Amino acid sequence: MGSEFDFSGALITYISVIGSLLFAIITVSVAGSFVVGGKTGPLAVLSILRLAVEDWLSTSPRRIWAITKLTILEAIRRKALLVGVVFAVLFLFAGWFLAQPASDPEQQVKVYVAFVMRTIAFLIIPMVLLLSCWGIPEDIRVRSIHTVVTKPCRRQEIVIGRVLGFTAIGGLLLAIMGVVGYVWILRQLDAKGRERLVARVPVYGKIAFKDREGVDQKQGINTGDEWMFRSFIEGGTKSRMIWNFEGLDAFNLETADHLPMEAGFQVFRSYKGNMDRGITCQILVVNPDTEKRAVAPLVTSRDQAGKIEQTDNAFEVKEFRENLLQLARRVVDDEGNELDLFKDFVSKGRLRVEVLCLPTQQYIGAAGPDLFVRLPDKPFVVSYAKGLLGIGLLTLMIVVIGVCASTFVKGPVATMTTFFIVLVGATGRAFLDTIVDAKWVGGGAFESIYRIFAHLNPQTELPSTLPFKVMQLVDGAGVGFLRSVRYLFPDFKFFDLTPYVAYGFDVPWTNPVPPNSGALLPSLIITAGYLLPWIVLGYFSLRLRELEAK
Amino acid sequence: MESESVIEIRNLTKIYRDFWGRKKVRALNQLTLDVKKGEVFGLLGPNGSGKTTTLKLLLGLLFPTEGEVKILGEPATNVSKNERIGYLPEETYLYRFLNAEETLDFYGRLFNIPAQVRKDRAKELIEMVGLKHARRRQLREYSKGMTRRIGLAQALINDPDLILLDEPTSGLDPLGSRDMKDLIDKLKEKGKTVVMCSHLLADVQDVCDRIAILFEGDLKVLDRVDKLLVDEGVTQLKTSQLPENVIREVEEVLKRHGASLMNVDHPTSNLEDLFIKTVRESKERPGQRHVADGKPTAAS
Amino acid sequence: MSKLTGLQRKLVYLVGILVLFIPIIVLGRPDEGRTATGGDQGGTLARMRREYDLKESSLGKVDPASASMNLVLLGMRGIAANILWQQAIDLQKTKNWAELRAVTESITQLQPHFLKVWDMQAWNLAYNVSAEWDLVRDRYFWVKEGLKFYQQGVLQNQKYGEMQWRTGNTYSQKIGRADEWKQFRQYFVKDPNTEAFPSGLDPEINPEGKDNYQVAEKWFRDANRTIDDTGIEQHVMGRPLFRSYPVRAMIEFAQAKQREGVFGDITKQAWETAAIEWSQKYGKEEFDSPGGMVHLEVTEKDAKEMQDRGEDDKLNWVYRYQDMCNYRYWRLRCFVEREQNTVDARRDLYNGEVAAAKGDFVEARKLLESGMEKYDTMIRKYPELLEQMETVEDAMVAMIAWRSVLQIESAPVPDDYPLKSVWEQNAGSVGVFNTEYIRRKGLYNK
Repeated sequence: MGSEFDFSGALITYISVIGSLLFAIITVSVAGSFVVGGKTGPLAVLSILRLAVEDWLSTSPRRIWAITKLTILEAIRRKALLVGVVFAVLFLFAGWFLAQPASDPEQQVKVYVAFVMRTIAFLIIPMVLLLSCWGIPEDIRVRSIHTVVTKPCRRQEIVIGRVLGFTAIGGLLLAIMGVVGYVWILRQLDAKGRERLVARVPVYGKIAFKDREGVDQKQGINTGDEWMFRSFIEGGTKSRMIWNFEGLDAFNLETADHLPMEAGFQVFRSYKGNMDRGITCQILVVNPDTEKRAVAPLVTSRDQAGKIEQTDNAFEVKEFRENLLQLARRVVDDEGNELDLFKDFVSKGRLRVEVLCLPTQQYIGAAGPDLFVRLPDKPFVVSYAKGLLGIGLLTLMIVVIGVCASTFVKGPVATMTTFFIVLVGATGRAFLDTIVDAKWVGGGAFESIYRIFAHLNPQTELPSTLPFKVMQLVDGAGVGFLRSVRYLFPDFKFFDLTPYVAYGFDVPWTNPVPPNSGALLPSLIITAGYLLPWIVLGYFSLRLRELEAK
Repeated sequence: MESESVIEIRNLTKIYRDFWGRKKVRALNQLTLDVKKGEVFGLLGPNGSGKTTTLKLLLGLLFPTEGEVKILGEPATNVSKNERIGYLPEETYLYRFLNAEETLDFYGRLFNIPAQVRKDRAKELIEMVGLKHARRRQLREYSKGMTRRIGLAQALINDPDLILLDEPTSGLDPLGSRDMKDLIDKLKEKGKTVVMCSHLLADVQDVCDRIAILFEGDLKVLDRVDKLLVDEGVTQLKTSQLPENVIREVEEVLKRHGASLMNVDHPTSNLEDLFIKTVRESKERPGQRHVADGKPTAAS
Repeated sequence: MSKLTGLQRKLVYLVGILVLFIPIIVLGRPDEGRTATGGDQGGTLARMRREYDLKESSLGKVDPASASMNLVLLGMRGIAANILWQQAIDLQKTKNWAELRAVTESITQLQPHFLKVWDMQAWNLAYNVSAEWDLVRDRYFWVKEGLKFYQQGVLQNQKYGEMQWRTGNTYSQKIGRADEWKQFRQYFVKDPNTEAFPSGLDPEINPEGKDNYQVAEKWFRDANRTIDDTGIEQHVMGRPLFRSYPVRAMIEFAQAKQREGVFGDITKQAWETAAIEWSQKYGKEEFDSPGGMVHLEVTEKDAKEMQDRGEDDKLNWVYRYQDMCNYRYWRLRCFVEREQNTVDARRDLYNGEVAAAKGDFVEARKLLESGMEKYDTMIRKYPELLEQMETVEDAMVAMIAWRSVLQIESAPVPDDYPLKSVWEQNAGSVGVFNTEYIRRKGLYNK
């Protein structure tokens, strides 16, 4: 799972980036001031720093709150909340367009939930972007800011107050729209659909494969799908998909008579076979310490009292649907011994599960998250709220960037800048990383252009004459520039929590579950990490410029 | 030192540059002056003479090209000096979506004033500037005069020691102007230091102790007002009504002493005085009207 | 007005807004042609739009997300559609079917009058997406989604017979000819989603409970009528071929019934009607050709007369067009199939093959031999039928079944038997027919 969020690595990168940035800024400004102002220059820089420390030490919550309140009042009195009306109108009529009566509820829920959350994001984000980018420049333009900075109000208080104010506006709208959206979803769905509104709490395992000879492999077979996410095992061979679960002892399994799991396998048939029946699979439970193994009996029916009546040793895969599996606690091994799933197979909270495909020449495929232990569901509201929090954090980030940008450029430019940063952060980060980390073949911009016109493929060596060296040098400088500004763009992929909510999963705190890439804690950390530097930047920008409209 | 300096300006120069750093305007040139505690100081000059620039440099809104400014003993760029300063900008750049109470509450918060004090002070100031009837209206609905007054109120919210007023009477009708001047007198009585800039001589002459006259960034005149306005070369006589022959006699007496009568007429109060007098009178006796023969009559 | 306070004024505005909403809702409610209940006719505007064929204005039928996007993008809906299209491809790649469906909907709403968009997206759902699902009932669901898309496309583009033809073609090909045709045709009259459709019929797909070929025939007829009415030509295929589709759907209906072992009046009647339609209506239709206006029904006598009149060139074109549509074969086929002997031959062969597959060898041999006899009679009467592989195939498969029965019973192949000449002529390619034999056997065994 390549997209795990590496917390310690992130911290180290963060500290090193901030550190080197500070170092660079101070060195450059001291050196620059020396060149410009001689001996007094560096002294001036030092006095600026001293003043900055003083300013930050005298930060007052009351003043921040004054600016926050002002910002909120401004937005409200300037009718920014009208966007809420747009929202209401959209939802008044949305039902007309989204209804697909014949579709099954599973699909409908996804579409409705995704629609609500995306609409909320699409309405709030442009609004806060515009608000935050125009607030301070407008203040400077009409010189209202003169009445503020001639009071004992510190510049960072203006920035923080603005950030909080715009975030509060966004948060307020988010809350209102969230509630309206929630009610709307409930009203759109029939009883059966509402049942599908859940937040499943999965415990994922680490996946591994065995090939047809029973040799360990990282990946299974590719059956020709362009999307390499899942890989397949062949039926009727020693091929296995293996999941190693951990931390199962943290959950109270003592009273349960089964282990609830859910599978979402894909099927690949090399011949048609019986089209009316699914491909059958078997689940083996293995004790990771003793290697004791047995076929897991799956509960197929229960009596009225809820007691297990019948079990089956195999199940048919229903593709693209939730395959709920109840692994019965009472397990019988090959020799006919009666064993207890939780006592004899779960060892120190660890359990290995092996899946095999029964029919020969048929294939089943899965990726890591396709089999998980399903803990008791949380209410849908929980994941919905977490998803909205993700939008809220995104809003906060955009506000911070917007406000900071607006401290040194005018409204339109700030808007463009912020929009660009958001755009790159949301769509281009992976691309940026590829270029900066030199994983890009074919060279930089000029080299690529040359290669295109010269019909050279990326592997061909370029002649090492001077013009080419210059070209590569220029390209290198470009990449160097990108490397230095890379961390300016927050990686927004962590903020997209909508898929979890729409697909009925609880939003994970720590590691994103592929193919999604969002998780709550990383987005919180990213937000926190970007917050302070941007605000400090905004502070200095306001402090070091003449607040005169030009 | 008998009176301490509240403002010390030394060799202050400000050059505005364009985007490319090229010199555009020399707005202020080597200005040096002090303002003493408790005085009302006027900065005079035509538009563009550098008055407002000086004020903004004092407040740290602009940074000097050369020279230095100390205000209340601190450099102008220190924010903490603002605790004791009140500033009324040239036009009142207040937040137009706030009403009078909210405005004062907002600026009060910026001084970190506790809620109750803030509330009392706001009430007091609103009454003082006569906006009680309009305290709940958003400033966007205010007339220019009202905006000026609420601007003054916000400048006084922290009970400042030093008050900087940029064109305090601009946009005010003569009555409002008078009120403003009375207020400045009151502030002076309380021992506050006031620095105002204006291009209206009349304003300044009434209230200022000392004035500086700037022209195109240069300081031209700096002195006490009473001294400045006395023209030693002219003696003015004021008498009761004189018949024509007496005037001729006086003229002859003057001739004998080698002086000439420059001008003889009836003293008139200036237009401003007249306007104020009229308004005051009409307030006292409502309904009275001015008629052709100059005699006031009662309305029917 | 000035007497009102600000609050009162705002309340008046609010009431005004709400009052104005009422006519918007009454007038503007869209036509919900897609509800399960058969539904609401929509507001006045929707109705008038239908009446006056102003469906272009149903650009209003855009889902809110894309409507807001449209609003923001102003004139750039082409770009928006492109972005969505890209998104749809990604969603398909990552198997996010529900979102794919929603995005597809948005694309068509952004570009409701691009026939290619409808065709491509509906085809994608019916053919590509459906094939991604493992269970047949899931596949059938996506075929239906594709069909619904086509029908929506027809509603938005009523002047183009092409869209109707494509709808009909999906009804006939995808449901009747897919690998899963057997299940699909059953589902068509008895939907597997019994919860949503307790009657077993999806009202948007098959409201009257007809056979899929009968529904397809209706769509093909509509397509022809639309082209006649509007004069807007289709660009799918040559006109003579295109016009034959209604009758071909009838023929396919009869064939499908036979494939499913249904013989007797239904099929006989169907062939009878098809014969008349083919020769009397379709065959008499005039087509433009370089040799002048021609029609395909030309008997030998007619041909002779034409030659006498010196219309050799015209006759040539007739033959060319006939070849294009395989006119003579189908004409013959319809006439042959409606005969009792043919019906009996097919019934016996089918039942014989089924019996053989099920292991009832005595019965199988009896039926197969009787069937071969009758088939032989048919071929003797109409030897030109052998020009078509289909005729040969049916004979060969029957004989392979018959021979395998003989083998099991350890009986020798007699020296002479019906259809012997067919066997001998095609002995070289027995392997090919054997594959077909095994395929059918699998089918019978289910």
